[in-house]
Amino acid sequence: MRGNNLKYGLFLAVLLAAFALMPFVLSRFYLYFLGTILVMGLLATSLNLVLGYGGMYQFHHAVFYGAGAYAFALATTKGNWPFWASMALAPVFSALLGLLMGLITVRLNKLYFGMLQISLGSLVWALVYRWYSFTGGDDGIHGVPLPDWLTTPKATYYFVLVLVTIALFIMFRIVNSPFGKIFQAIRDNPTRSEAIGVNVARHQLVGLIIAAFFAGIAGALFVVIEDTAVPDLMFWNLSMEILIMCLLGGWFSFSGPMLGAAMVMGLRTFAGMFTEYWTLILGLVLMALIFFLPNGIMGLFDSKTGHKPAPDLPGA
Amino acid sequence: MRRTKLIGLALTLCVGLAVAGSAMAKNIKVGIVDTYSGPPSAYTNDVRDSFALQVEKINAAGGILGNQVEVITRDDKYKADIALGEAKELLIKEEVDILMGSINSAIALAISDLCKKEKVPYIVSFSKSDNITGAKGHRYVFAVTENTAMIGKAGAEALAKKPYKNYWIAGDDYEYGHAVGGDVWAYLQKLRPDVKLLGETWWKVGTPDFTSYITAIQAAKPDAVIVATGGAGCIPFLKAAKATGFAAQVPIFMHTATELSTLKAIGPDAPEGVMGTANYMFYYPDTQANKDFVKEFKAKYNREPAVGAYYGYLAANFIKSAYAKAGKVDKEAFIDALEGMKVTGPLGEVEMRAFDHQAMLSMFMGVTKKVPDYPFLIATEIVTVPGADAIPPIDVIKKAREKAQQ
Amino acid sequence: MIFAPQVTLTALGQQILVGLSKTTILFIVSSGLSLVLGVLRIPNVAHGALYMIGAFLAFTFTQYMGGSGPAFFAALLLAPAAVALLSLLVERTMLSRLYEREHMMLMLFTFSLALVFGDLVKMVWGSDYRSLSLPEGFQGSFMIGTLPMPRYSMFLLVVGPLVAAGLWYLTNRTKIGKIARAAAVHREMVGAVGINVSWVFAAVFMIGCYLAGLGGALVAPTQNISQGMDHTIIIEAFLIVIAGGLGNIWGALLGALIFGVADSVGVLVWPQFAIVFPYVAVIVILTLRPSGLLKSTW
Repeated sequence: MRGNNLKYGLFLAVLLAAFALMPFVLSRFYLYFLGTILVMGLLATSLNLVLGYGGMYQFHHAVFYGAGAYAFALATTKGNWPFWASMALAPVFSALLGLLMGLITVRLNKLYFGMLQISLGSLVWALVYRWYSFTGGDDGIHGVPLPDWLTTPKATYYFVLVLVTIALFIMFRIVNSPFGKIFQAIRDNPTRSEAIGVNVARHQLVGLIIAAFFAGIAGALFVVIEDTAVPDLMFWNLSMEILIMCLLGGWFSFSGPMLGAAMVMGLRTFAGMFTEYWTLILGLVLMALIFFLPNGIMGLFDSKTGHKPAPDLPGA
Repeated sequence: MRRTKLIGLALTLCVGLAVAGSAMAKNIKVGIVDTYSGPPSAYTNDVRDSFALQVEKINAAGGILGNQVEVITRDDKYKADIALGEAKELLIKEEVDILMGSINSAIALAISDLCKKEKVPYIVSFSKSDNITGAKGHRYVFAVTENTAMIGKAGAEALAKKPYKNYWIAGDDYEYGHAVGGDVWAYLQKLRPDVKLLGETWWKVGTPDFTSYITAIQAAKPDAVIVATGGAGCIPFLKAAKATGFAAQVPIFMHTATELSTLKAIGPDAPEGVMGTANYMFYYPDTQANKDFVKEFKAKYNREPAVGAYYGYLAANFIKSAYAKAGKVDKEAFIDALEGMKVTGPLGEVEMRAFDHQAMLSMFMGVTKKVPDYPFLIATEIVTVPGADAIPPIDVIKKAREKAQQ
Repeated sequence: MIFAPQVTLTALGQQILVGLSKTTILFIVSSGLSLVLGVLRIPNVAHGALYMIGAFLAFTFTQYMGGSGPAFFAALLLAPAAVALLSLLVERTMLSRLYEREHMMLMLFTFSLALVFGDLVKMVWGSDYRSLSLPEGFQGSFMIGTLPMPRYSMFLLVVGPLVAAGLWYLTNRTKIGKIARAAAVHREMVGAVGINVSWVFAAVFMIGCYLAGLGGALVAPTQNISQGMDHTIIIEAFLIVIAGGLGNIWGALLGALIFGVADSVGVLVWPQFAIVFPYVAVIVILTLRPSGLLKSTW
């Protein structure tokens, strides 16, 4: 048991070191690309908190991502807030939005939860999209000023890497904490959990807020990399894409979503260089996945190494 | 012994090839990020095709300073995030020498900002917001297309002569829409202080159905409507205006209403009697230079050139002349040479004003009319406003930029 | 921000009428979605793409048959049928194998279909703008008092109730309709009675997709026929279906009414946030009645 943990820890350390050395190996474009993968991976992992570990049909997660991005962008450009204040605002704002939406939706069962989320999320999107004088509407917000130390590609990359690593670490701890275990128990059997005294709705609400919080960080990081915020960040299509990332990578594992994000982003960028029909390819890949690999890539990996795809129940 | 000799030979060969390769001419790369899907493509296809035709000619004649010109295009689908991603790819990965595009003014501003940071010249080939070379202009952005200030001036002059008093402004809710609506209105108010604005309607870009907006505007009973639609909205709105009978009841002014890209796309469904401004028509003026240009374009692409073809031509020739003057493939030298550069095209000489990097294009105002000669409507009653008169004076630009800096 | 500049009674009345004509399209599309959701329990995200294909096919068929008025009417019949055939193909070869899976999987599968269809449309028809003309008799407007009312909108106002009547007949009077309603409530029972549930599903899916195609064909002369029309309609259709009650066609009608009229009145009263009005309406409905306005089949 201890040997296993040591091996795993060593593996992580090597991985982290590899990431840290990337700026010296990769060209500017690929460094930028890697940064965007990290951000999307964070977003997908935050979705998986409630999707894979919570069993909640979070169909419109992108709202929290976009909310974080806009909060950061607007605070910086319109409010002239200092950088760290805007950075802090983004996840807090998303979490608040999560609280609001959660209060309305959490009591409902699976599909209704998802559908109502879509409605509420679309309302937020519509508001942002149409409030031209405040958010710039369809134009988006461009040229968001960043502090001097954050203007080089290397600095941006390291900033993103550090924040994403910390965020992932915190999420990992949450998933493996008592709260996390109860959360998963609710996913597996909500009636029984309720019967043994667990407040299902409250736990789900907290889970949603946490997921929204981290999605907000991802949103702010997006603006850090791209200097820009657009309404499409909260559009329903993106929510579906994030779902696909979780599915592709494997939603029963912690690292699956990050892997899925890398694959989808890779597909988009590299298939996009050869053909303009990369969405067709994504669609076909997804179809194949649903038929042959419903637990995603990590699921395949897990079954080969003998791991059970379902995480442990509490008390095991 | 023999092995080392062989290796040595191979190495020398490799080094020799590498040296020769670097001494060979590198291509001059021009990247175009533009919208090639949906209604905007009716306008942008001509830019791309005309540019390609000109580049073909340039390359056949030996290229620019001995280098062949390579054109890379990307479709941004009228979305800012896709456009920025592609612009970044072209700038950072492909390392283009010049970036060109887009038809969406918001995208153009975002890419302009990016090019300023990357210090790569950006030639705007269709977007018309006056912010591009005005308040938000800078060293690295150039425009070979007219801007909303010029449109506003020309359009206002035409409208001022009409008896209309009560106006309504309606258009696409984004950078260009607000710019063109605002500019036409500002200039009109100066010329006719008695005009009144009854109200404004701004719909989201890409609105598919205008019926409810049209009926709401009709309820207000304006004397005329200034339609501030852009690449995505012009064609569908005009079509709806005819289909609902709106165009027959209320006079409309719309920039590019008289332009071939718009009218050809709608065909016989286009409404008559719509006032519009445009910078290029293949049938006017009927000069030899214009006729030759039309003939050349038609021979290759089997259709008449629209205004996009004119912009493509200008862009290619500005690039050619500027590099020739600069004498080397260097971005800063290119920019210096391009300032104040004059090229001769199908409509005569066009100057790239040095102060704000704005091409001094002439404006043509007209009214749409059905004619038996063509399967689409054309502009009649054409009035010309020369570039020098249409373009805002330099101190106006100066003030706008200073204000933006604060 | 302009607020309520011209709200006279006639203007309001006119906007409501226009809104009702919008309702027709929304109802036709949403009822198809609701049908599939109710009986097969599948949130068909590809419904929007099928609507788009219906519009493109209507364009092509009209062009092919001469581009005139009668050609358009023929296209109105052919395009949805073609969409229905396409959907049957998809259902028999792929979708039917996934019926035992979770909703999420089915939804994601339909999403992948939407992606594929979206690009297929681009491949087949290209990215250029396509324009379909209204038949001669439908151009222009009637004058109702002093305000003009577009003729095609009036046509849609007639088509809507016709389709609704047709659907009512189908679900209440025909055998297949009754079986479908039974299957929506208890599919195992239907199978136990000896009916081939699989073919029932296929038929219902076809009808639902036919409706999507019909909506697209009807809307084709009034809008841009271009990529992206699937994205907007699918969100609207889902909201209407949720607000109306999952699986309930009459709920879809009610939802479409509220949605269409809220949108049109919004344009008159507060044009800037017109598109927000329907969303707010839906959310109000869902907060008061979380399972939707009418009884759902779930």
